[in-house]
Amino acid sequence: MGALRRKRRENSRLKLIGDNVKNTRVSSITLFLVLVALAPVAFAHHGNANYDTTKSITVKGVVTGFEFVNPHVQITWDAKDDSGATQSWQGELTSPNRLSRDGWTKSSIKAGDTITISGYPTKSGAHEIWIQKVVMGSGEELPTGMGGN
Amino acid sequence: MWNRVGTFILAGAAALALSPALPAQTGQQQGSAKPAAASAPAPEHDLSGVWTMHAPPSQRRFIGATYTAEPPEMTAWGTEKYNANKPSNGPRTHSLKDTDDPVLKQCLPPGTPRIYLQPFPFQMVQTPKEIVMIYEYDHTVRQIFIDGRKHPDDILPTYMGHSIGKWEGDTLVVDTVGFNEKTWLDRDGHPHSDQLHVIERFHRVDFDNMTIDLNIQDPKALAKPWVSQLSVQLRPSWDIMELVCTDNAAFEDFEK
Repeated sequence: MGALRRKRRENSRLKLIGDNVKNTRVSSITLFLVLVALAPVAFAHHGNANYDTTKSITVKGVVTGFEFVNPHVQITWDAKDDSGATQSWQGELTSPNRLSRDGWTKSSIKAGDTITISGYPTKSGAHEIWIQKVVMGSGEELPTGMGGN
Repeated sequence: MWNRVGTFILAGAAALALSPALPAQTGQQQGSAKPAAASAPAPEHDLSGVWTMHAPPSQRRFIGATYTAEPPEMTAWGTEKYNANKPSNGPRTHSLKDTDDPVLKQCLPPGTPRIYLQPFPFQMVQTPKEIVMIYEYDHTVRQIFIDGRKHPDDILPTYMGHSIGKWEGDTLVVDTVGFNEKTWLDRDGHPHSDQLHVIERFHRVDFDNMTIDLNIQDPKALAKPWVSQLSVQLRPSWDIMELVCTDNAAFEDFEK
């Protein structure tokens, strides 16, 4: 496992955190490098050039904003990095039209909710995620897939 | 905790890598390849309802942006236009800032058949005179006249074309001509001319499932007809919702 972690650090293009990827704190930023053989979802996002869809990132924090609007639902949240400093994050999902068919409403997420968000990081290292998975503090996972089917 | 979670993620990734096309492993959100139970028979000559794209696994890699795995064979004119276009999808991705995709840049109507590639459902409202197609994307409307009329002689070019339909047995054959040149054929940037001629064959296989055979012809842009088949499923509990393209303008700042 030690050799795998070293390889991941060498391969990492995100300079968000220091050398040690520790997951000892519940609120730490956790970086997983996952090789995903699948191409991005069939309905290609028009802005996916900004994201690295070969990697995955998971960030847990507290919701600061939830915009349930077209063209993309947006979530903003605060998360602490390894040094304990608070960082602001934002993520985008698909249209509220599609999410509403998976049961979402404009009240599904509120400021102050604990949230764990996973998805594709940006190529630039900016604190933005193309969200693929949302898990609330209760453990409930909100479906984020192409619910338009 | 790292070891346990890391192992889980690696196992999941390995499963995905080994079986990329199985919808069951990519979660319920993609839907299943076949309906769970046999559907009732199709009502006769009735395509009413809200339909959503439900592509078979073999199409899912490309059906969000184009119609076939292989690109169409284009004429020299078509190839020149294609090379000049700057799409934000497909193999030659440009950023939102650099793209000249008329849908993304100007919110122009996608045209026919590109409207099918927008990932939102459509509704067919059927009357004796016409079938009105209401696509959720930007509330784009098409009228398919089924009252026996022909295309006008001096046709006024439009984004979506002029559509007439007639039943051949259980299949509604829709013929569309009269296009302007302000649209692309797909999201990959394949062009068309005003000679574009689209033939759709709507066949409601059973109550819940319909296939739409596409035959895209354009002697100026395409060396031969571009043929594909779309698969759609009925969604009786859905209503068409509002989605306004110009809302995208406020969002462009989000993607640096």
